[in-house]
Amino acid sequence: MTPEHLAKAVEDIPSLRAVFVTAMPDCLLFGSWLHAESDWDEEQVATYFGDLFRANREGLKALGSWSSEMQVTIEAPDHLIILHELTADFVCACVFERGAALGMVRLHTRRLLQRISDSLPSFEAEQRPRGVRVMEFLNRYAPDPHAVLLRVSLRTRLSMDELNEPQKLTDEQIALVEQTACGILGLQTLNI
Amino acid sequence: MNQLKEFSAELPGQDLKFLGSTPYVYHCHHFNLFHDQTVEDALGEEEGFLIRSRAAQSAVWQLLSDLVAKAGASTPAERLQLAAAVFPWMGQGRLELLAGAEGGNVRGDHLHYSFAWREKYGARVRRRFPVDAFAAGFAAAATEVAFSLPPGALASREQSCFACRQPACGFELGRQDVPSQAEPVNREVFLRHIRQPSEGLEEGRIAEIATGLNEFLLGVDGDERGLVQGFGIFITRHLPGYYDQTAYDTIHHIEKHAPQATPAVEELFGESGHVCAFYTIGNILLSPEWEAMVGTLRGDVEEIVTSSVAITRALGFGHWTVDELEPDRRLVMRSSSNYESPFYFERYGLSEKPRCYFFANASRAIMQLAHRVDWASRPELTEDLYLSLFKADLKWRVEETRCCSKGDDVCEVVVTKG
Repeated sequence: MTPEHLAKAVEDIPSLRAVFVTAMPDCLLFGSWLHAESDWDEEQVATYFGDLFRANREGLKALGSWSSEMQVTIEAPDHLIILHELTADFVCACVFERGAALGMVRLHTRRLLQRISDSLPSFEAEQRPRGVRVMEFLNRYAPDPHAVLLRVSLRTRLSMDELNEPQKLTDEQIALVEQTACGILGLQTLNI
Repeated sequence: MNQLKEFSAELPGQDLKFLGSTPYVYHCHHFNLFHDQTVEDALGEEEGFLIRSRAAQSAVWQLLSDLVAKAGASTPAERLQLAAAVFPWMGQGRLELLAGAEGGNVRGDHLHYSFAWREKYGARVRRRFPVDAFAAGFAAAATEVAFSLPPGALASREQSCFACRQPACGFELGRQDVPSQAEPVNREVFLRHIRQPSEGLEEGRIAEIATGLNEFLLGVDGDERGLVQGFGIFITRHLPGYYDQTAYDTIHHIEKHAPQATPAVEELFGESGHVCAFYTIGNILLSPEWEAMVGTLRGDVEEIVTSSVAITRALGFGHWTVDELEPDRRLVMRSSSNYESPFYFERYGLSEKPRCYFFANASRAIMQLAHRVDWASRPELTEDLYLSLFKADLKWRVEETRCCSKGDDVCEVVVTKG
């Protein structure tokens, strides 16, 4: 998805401040459009919204009330934010001015999501190795991120060279790294 | 408290501090938590706690045995009172020592480690294993000394911990088989192993600042919680015997059982030096007290390096000198005394490689702080700034070229642009 695609998709939508398309399950920025006056960190916002959407989906699944058509609406003091799952691989966050009428926002969002969906790639999103995703998760959430690789090395006894190439880790090594990640983060399991 | 100040003394010219005959230094909660975390990462939670609490027990037993003799405290009640006063003097919080010769319970409030852990990490990580190994060892040693028990007669276990989101910290003490006790690494030992102090660059300025800071630090007392909060950090008067034994036992364990992880454990203990320089030295440099005592920071490399060395001396890290300084190129630091090599040499004998992980990496961090921080703008020393300096942009390499624990005549580190 090129910036031009997104710029065209948002044409004529009043009160829209930003659009973030996040690739799931890794919560990485796939595409974005920002109003000229906005200076948000796109990668950071896309990541947090991806995480938020995933947590919401898991929570709803736990309640037995999840549907692929669901969307999350956040009424923040300055903004109205709508998160929607475009496909299993992409989540879109649309940020509107707070003063926009909710009915109009929903209407514009529906049209916008359709336009974005039409321009999404038709190929399957690449499933990156689990070792890579575990290390990325740790880098993002572990305390003392400057030292996290060393800590994992010390806890797992895997060398830094091995950990620097997480895509080459064996299943057994990945399980060890995952267990270590849980220990460092104080989690029972790692849902990534 | 006044009595403790009377027992506190310096070794002239060597910038080492002693409470009675036991060495002590100042370290902040960032350093303390990172140090303990490394032990835990290397050995696991259970074993890591055990190693730390035993090291604390051993060091504190020596400290308190010496102090009760000096204070003439002869009854268990007097001795427990003294121990209960030493703990907050160290900035470790408050302990209610309720155990007897056969064991019993101890309650801890505002313990330095768990309180600081909750403050630093509590919002991000759910901790499931207790963190107050030092307090556990202190409680056991205090009870042993109070009831004239040999060191190691009691075992201490932390049953509830504030860091694990429990309301307070609680310990259970019970009798155990007495393990052998290592010889103390005290003032006499340091006198045997330290070298003749030398003079480096800007010696007059460094010594003058260190003297002023010394007097200031000696007057700092714990608050009603038993914590010492100042310069934006929680400060402890801590025992090098604890740091040294836990670090070296951990490194030796890794060297023996998992040599492939040795670089990681050495680097992490070195990282503690970065943490200390950034948070403790940095916050002192930016404090109003510093401005009142020394003046406004200009922020040039020479000023920051020499000021930092003055601070290390006041903190009791030993007689560090700046022997060469070429801004943007090279720093050579030497120490005739520090708190690492004497302990190593005494406890483990001659080493095949240098062992002053803290001295070396604190020197590197000082060089980074001197070159990469805009001191004149009085920046806030945040975690983000730390990460930008020590994760993304650390351009300095450090090598300990001489070390007393290898038999050299001085400890020397060379920091160069990498």
